[in-house]
Amino acid sequence: MRSEAGEFIDLARNTAWPLIPRSPEEVICFRNGQAITVGAFLAEAGALAARLPPAGQGVALHAINLCTDRYRMLVGFVAALLRGHVTLLHADPEPGRLLALAGRYPGAYVIADGEQREFPLPAFRLAEGDSAAGEVVAVPEIPVERIVAIGFTSGSTGEPAAHPKPWGALVAAAQAAAERFSLHGSGAAAVTLLATVPPQHMYGFETTIMLPLQAGMAIHAGASFFPSDVLDALAWLPTRRVLVTTPLHLRALLAEGRRPAALEAVISATAPLAASMAEAVERDWQTPMLEIYGATEAGSMASRRTVREADWLPYRGVELREAGVQVPGLGEVALADVLEPSGAGRFRLLGRRSDLVKLGGRRASLADLNRRLLEIEGVEDGVFVAPDDLESNPGARLSAYVVAPGLTAEAVLAALRTRLEPLFLPRPILLVPALPRDRLGKLSRSALAGLRVPATGPA
Amino acid sequence: MSLGSSEPQTVALPSRLTSEELEVARLIVSSLSLEVAAEEIDPEAPLFNQGLGLDSIDALEIALALSKAYDVKLRSDDERNHRIFASLRSLTAHIEKHRAR
Repeated sequence: MRSEAGEFIDLARNTAWPLIPRSPEEVICFRNGQAITVGAFLAEAGALAARLPPAGQGVALHAINLCTDRYRMLVGFVAALLRGHVTLLHADPEPGRLLALAGRYPGAYVIADGEQREFPLPAFRLAEGDSAAGEVVAVPEIPVERIVAIGFTSGSTGEPAAHPKPWGALVAAAQAAAERFSLHGSGAAAVTLLATVPPQHMYGFETTIMLPLQAGMAIHAGASFFPSDVLDALAWLPTRRVLVTTPLHLRALLAEGRRPAALEAVISATAPLAASMAEAVERDWQTPMLEIYGATEAGSMASRRTVREADWLPYRGVELREAGVQVPGLGEVALADVLEPSGAGRFRLLGRRSDLVKLGGRRASLADLNRRLLEIEGVEDGVFVAPDDLESNPGARLSAYVVAPGLTAEAVLAALRTRLEPLFLPRPILLVPALPRDRLGKLSRSALAGLRVPATGPA
Repeated sequence: MSLGSSEPQTVALPSRLTSEELEVARLIVSSLSLEVAAEEIDPEAPLFNQGLGLDSIDALEIALALSKAYDVKLRSDDERNHRIFASLRSLTAHIEKHRAR
């Protein structure tokens, strides 16, 4: 059953696929200086599964897995899976948002770790020492059509859009990634993967939750946010090390100036990587700089080696369609990006189909942001504006022009704070007497730019 | 000391920035392109969420700026990480304690 050299799931034939086609003695995680084997991991997941509520009658229960420790996220995901529950990929512990989610998914409960915190929902905690409890669990086969996780994107109406993930689609994508990046291996050839992306983000979920289940590799569980975290952890991990990250973290790492321990490869996603950064990684770190193109709706779809290729090579089984892509296990998926075939089976990204903006791996629709701005009492008119370099410049943020006589910029900001994710808060808010709308009520960028007081911008 | 005398009374002034705090505030304002004056930052207000309204991307930027300016490396593992980022004052204290030059 090992997919070492390529036993691939065939969604036309396979009706079920093993949870983890790996030997119990293989290492699945490095955590707190220790290697955790597949067998020990399964015992811990089995012990947690026994604590979780039984599957609902005819309806799947939903687990909101808030674990910040990547290993515990993996334990929680598999425990929910063993129980027949669906994991909601949601990382925000804010009580209002948890309740909103429970409103859509009745019976939802929380799996959490870390500091003590009150939750407005039933919560199951993971703590040190849980692993001692469990017995080795037999590895089940999971029906390929069963929904095991749901990813979310911000919808244009304000309600997040749900993207259900069948087991077969996740397995196919993990196998395709393992094949594309040569992530299989065992013993001394095994890959260890260190990621700076949260496991609740689709990219982080696919790489650090699904890959260790389906490819012979281990993940690092531990702090990996600041450059020093990443550099220290890499130095400690065994080879072959692969760094899974984003342009934001890469920029900080490169600017830090210290060369990391030898890397097998660096993988980046969430936003296109600047060619100069890709060149710097290849030159200064002597490692291939690879990029994944993906979206929460469809998962990872393609990759490229940035310094050599401008165009993207689709993953195994992924095909371009009129308004999106055909993805194994998902069917045809509409995308927010416009893709154009560019020969030799590759494609090029032409831009966005809609008014989506992307910041720190999160998406928002400008129309939705504007709607929320106008909901504020005292705001008569207003518009969010995205700078051209929003995705390439980590310092770039949205700004907003607001007509709100009687309100201060601080008051508008305070009201927005309760309505928006912090990343999308405008920086700055410019209070203006009126917006330069044309006769159709439309706003042009140039007219808006004219509103800006002579810039006092940073040097 | 005599109560009720005509001695000049100490009035509770809004907390002022020390010169070190002002330096760190300027670094934060310039590296994050904030549109506030460094002098106006309340040294005891939270840097994240309600106070200055910074987010996780900003944390990365601040870490980078501190590394360059003071050779101080921030780490997530640091037990006191929440306290370090609690306010400009606590961040400055951390830098003063760990700065290499």
